[in-house]
Amino acid sequence: MKIATEVENFLLEEVRDINKSTYVLKFSRGDLGFKPGQHLNIGLTGSGQHREYSIYSGINNDSLEVLIKEVDDGMVSTQLRKLKKGEELSVKGPYGFFLTDAKPKEGEKLLFIASGTGIAPFHSFVMSNPGASYRLIHGIRNIDEAYDREHYTEGSYFACTSRGNKGDYNGRITDYLLSDVEEKADKVYLCGNSSMIYDAMDILRAQGYRHDQLFTEVYF
Amino acid sequence: MKILKTVSFRTLGCRLNQFETDALVTSFHNAGYQVVDPNQKADVTVINTCTVTNQSDQKSRHTINNAASKNPDGLVVVTGCMANNYKEKLEGQEQITYVVDNDRKSQIVELVDGHFSGEVQHPDNLSGNKFGFETVQKSLHTRTSVKIQDGCDNFCTFCIIPSVRGRAVSRPVQDILENVRRVVDNGFKEVVITGVNIGRYDYEGVSFEHVIERVLELPGDFRVRISSLEPDGFSDDFYQLFSHPKLAPHLHLCLQSGSEEILLKMRRMYSARQFMDTVERFRNAIPDFNFTTDVIVGFPGESDADFQQTVDFVKKADFSHVHTFRFSRRTGTRADRMNEQVSGKVMAERSEVIRRISEENRLRYMHSMQQKEQRVLIEKVNEQGIARGYGEHYLPVEFAVTDPSTNRFEKVLLQETLPGEEPVMKGAIVGEPALKGF
Repeated sequence: MKIATEVENFLLEEVRDINKSTYVLKFSRGDLGFKPGQHLNIGLTGSGQHREYSIYSGINNDSLEVLIKEVDDGMVSTQLRKLKKGEELSVKGPYGFFLTDAKPKEGEKLLFIASGTGIAPFHSFVMSNPGASYRLIHGIRNIDEAYDREHYTEGSYFACTSRGNKGDYNGRITDYLLSDVEEKADKVYLCGNSSMIYDAMDILRAQGYRHDQLFTEVYF
Repeated sequence: MKILKTVSFRTLGCRLNQFETDALVTSFHNAGYQVVDPNQKADVTVINTCTVTNQSDQKSRHTINNAASKNPDGLVVVTGCMANNYKEKLEGQEQITYVVDNDRKSQIVELVDGHFSGEVQHPDNLSGNKFGFETVQKSLHTRTSVKIQDGCDNFCTFCIIPSVRGRAVSRPVQDILENVRRVVDNGFKEVVITGVNIGRYDYEGVSFEHVIERVLELPGDFRVRISSLEPDGFSDDFYQLFSHPKLAPHLHLCLQSGSEEILLKMRRMYSARQFMDTVERFRNAIPDFNFTTDVIVGFPGESDADFQQTVDFVKKADFSHVHTFRFSRRTGTRADRMNEQVSGKVMAERSEVIRRISEENRLRYMHSMQQKEQRVLIEKVNEQGIARGYGEHYLPVEFAVTDPSTNRFEKVLLQETLPGEEPVMKGAIVGEPALKGF
């Protein structure tokens, strides 16, 4: 299995719509190796424009997947959605270190905290480690952003919705964390926008977590 | 008598670039070229460029134009990170003969030799080897660098380097050890371990701290200095390394910002708290450990409160020198697409604040080192018999000598701090009184 070092052109297999603004891009994998938590730089072949997307699929899948939220007037996210099956996309990577030390260990409690599409690396981890024990808190606006929640072990996924009343907790993820009802974990991994991570880190530190228990990956 | 072809070099940017130029100087010298001053006309001019900021681009462009106009009949070879970032643009400029990317930089002498012998080839046909540089013999410096790593996978949101230096790659351990042996055999007394992101060194399971440990175990009277390092998290073994007498108690740890929120937006791999813990752990073990750093002011969204956190951090961590950069937008980076860009005026003001604190810190640190001994590596001795060099803590020291030879260690008692634009410490060789009039 190789680690890609240069730009490679992969073939699109499917664009799976999740909601109006979010979709999963599935494409050929070739013999590309990666670790859950790593990301790829993806763009339209020949465009010279690439954006970073965490790998969504598991290490044992034949194809690669990334979870993409369309950015208004985005130069890449909107164009990738228009690709047709069999068309090429340009891929660099994989890169990154997030989650790479999150090996499932007997008795170790892992807490994953994500906002929006920041759930992607955790999805990859869960798909790669089917028996792993974890707790995943997902901060979203509406329940239709609970992307593929059925993929997670029963009782492990917990949605915090800032709008509407269909979440497991109806309110912001940081408000939920402040309530301090979660069982203490050995390690906490946070992925999402920088404001959420910043606020959540403050809360977790106040709850007694040491910095060597906290790991972050910022999404923009 | 055979007339030697002449070659001159111009280098911009980082320590790694400087090392690579030194290695090219050696290659050309060994190949029979005469290395001449950049102000002289030369048959070949090599410009090793930098592209890390917009200002670097401007300086690189200016240097290329200046070199080409001085040498209208000579070969002009442009290499370095700008050659990667703007390859096609540079190739389209008539005044430039060859544009050589970083991967092929070490083979420039082959390219030039081929040119003069009629075997002209496109630089892309050279075999790439990031670690193919000659062992430095004829250096412009007393200390030399050994490159252990190239490239970076961190993708900080402000940085173009992963795109121009490529992904992280580590040099084989045995190559590094052999390289250090050779430079020590060549007479170098100080080896600077360098690369783009050396903390991420990993060759077949051997980590950064363990390759340094192997280097320190090599025989010879030399010391090791670690160049710029990312504070991504250090193991206990890393702290232990500094109990070795050959390892200099100085680190250039890149802070960039003291604001947790800005560090997240920069996508740095550490928090300000972690960074301070690292500093405190070192200072608990070695109270006079010298830390220097880099700070970026005016990153998008940096508020007055964020900047104040950087100010507070720089004071608390007592960096003896802060290299301050004003944020520079680089096309292709995430930060270029961020809102809340900070105005040039605010950046200039913030830069000035950090510069002043840096100067105060430096003088305070120098005062704290008075009456301590340093093992100074003499770099030069002037006509008045005043030697100048750096001690293990990386402070400049001047002292009187009777032996005018350089590139040797002397144990020096630091006696006084001489302030000025570039403060220096005055000392005397241990056991000898300071000479009158000095």
